[in-house]
Amino acid sequence: MNKKTDKPARPASSIRSLRDFLELLESQGQCITWPHAVMPEPDIRNIAVAAGRDLMGGPAVVFDKILGYPGKRVVVGVHGSFANIAAVMGLPKGTGIKALFYELAARWGDQPAELPRVKPEKAPVHEVRIEKDIDLFDLLPLYRINAYDGGFYIGKADVVSRDPKDPDNFGKQNVGVYRIQPHGPDAFTLLSAPLHDIARHIETAEYEGLPLKIAVMLGNHPAVTMFAATPLGYEESEYAYASRMMGSPIELTESGNGLDILAHGEICLEAEYIHGDRRIEGPFGEFPGTYSGVRRLPAFRITAISHRKDPIFENIYVGRGWTELDTLMGLNTCVPIYAALKQDFPEVEAVNALYHHGLTAIISVKNRFAGFAKSMALRALGTPHGLMYMKNVIMVDADVDPFDLNQVIWALSVRTRANDIYVLDNMAGILLDPSAVVPGKGHHLIIDATSPMPPDPIGIDAEMVNPPSGPEIDELFNLIRNLQEANR
Amino acid sequence: MKCPRCLGSDTYVCKEGKEDGRLVWTMYYCNACEFNWRDSEPEETLNPDLRPSAFQLDPTRFEDFEVVLPPRKRRP
Repeated sequence: MNKKTDKPARPASSIRSLRDFLELLESQGQCITWPHAVMPEPDIRNIAVAAGRDLMGGPAVVFDKILGYPGKRVVVGVHGSFANIAAVMGLPKGTGIKALFYELAARWGDQPAELPRVKPEKAPVHEVRIEKDIDLFDLLPLYRINAYDGGFYIGKADVVSRDPKDPDNFGKQNVGVYRIQPHGPDAFTLLSAPLHDIARHIETAEYEGLPLKIAVMLGNHPAVTMFAATPLGYEESEYAYASRMMGSPIELTESGNGLDILAHGEICLEAEYIHGDRRIEGPFGEFPGTYSGVRRLPAFRITAISHRKDPIFENIYVGRGWTELDTLMGLNTCVPIYAALKQDFPEVEAVNALYHHGLTAIISVKNRFAGFAKSMALRALGTPHGLMYMKNVIMVDADVDPFDLNQVIWALSVRTRANDIYVLDNMAGILLDPSAVVPGKGHHLIIDATSPMPPDPIGIDAEMVNPPSGPEIDELFNLIRNLQEANR
Repeated sequence: MKCPRCLGSDTYVCKEGKEDGRLVWTMYYCNACEFNWRDSEPEETLNPDLRPSAFQLDPTRFEDFEVVLPPRKRRP
């Protein structure tokens, strides 16, 4: 039951919008409304960081008393903890990370998906329509996320774009999370790495001389934002994945400029790419924990805005991890790599790519023969996300839980040999890696921390000590805990 | 109003924050270096003497910044 309203708690499958989800989180003690008035800076970032410190159980925080923005609301931390991710998936609070990983893997794919259409005139997102005198600074309660950011960033937008040469192809329509810096009342820049789908759309529009229209959705269904932050194949629909994961419909409508958007979104900015325009952008405190530097980025002009009445501006804290971005992206970075490997190799047990967009990943495999684990590492590097992001890959045996770093360090300590470490230099890397000599280029490091296997003759006679385990030991553990408590 | 980042003067007021008609802050934008700030922010962000030099911009060097996705030539 929702303690405040005495209404039955909403099941996750009935979530249609951010508002529905906040209600569900509140009923679970996972969303709070900040009771005091706040200044946009530094209060919102300070509170966001403090709420995000508990990565297992931190709440979403709603601000409705932001000085200078009367009547406006901001929410941060919607995906800020694994308790909130469990809530999106309809799983109990307290579900562990590994259990969430396997559950997400079991729901992976784009079939079946239910994507019913709502007529634009009936869609809540279009309740208020602005087509002239567009002013982003007036609409959004913007604030500086980190002290030296170059502007007041929109850090959690789901951006919809179509392939300019194949605009009717639903699968090639992309929904992605890209950072956005407002540049005046009706313009913004957007950061996309060349790998990302919207970069292909920008390049195609430029080469073909075609217009590129996009929709920037703010305050969205929480599953859609999860998949917008997921590295899917070019022709796969984020909406379809979100529906499959939820096991329920995701209602879509059409934006004024012809894109498929969420019918129950809070805000939608309709915009058009400005051909050839590159504007000064940054710095921005980014997920590696460093500021990204100043660059010149593609610019867009806002042509119209739709929003719900009293819209909620959803934003995110990003910086040195752990932050909401890590929880938002973590599991959905692990699972596509796992799903790709698992297709051909059932020996792959689990993938932990939770750390910093998968810059370091740990993969456990049932090692079949000498060299097998190394080939699995190379295959992971050939997945869409592995290509640029997976800098460091640690391979462990199936008896090591990749989500338990104590076990991983044990494997590194006792199963690694110096000649089982491989560096692939001058490979594709990410723009934001602060250790890159040339941004966009980098290395892949593979550490094979699996046991030697035949025909390798070395170390195969190492017999494992298997400490006693099972229900009897669990019972003893609890008994010892109780004795300890009794002595306090 | 001088820009805290490039110290230029080509700036404008983009929003005034009010409570019950009382001005609580003013937000500015710099046309030269595209910096955006609010006069109520902490000094570390606003005061050029306190801002680390790595975050200051020299407006004569804008052309040095890397272009992400350089504009493509149109198909012949």
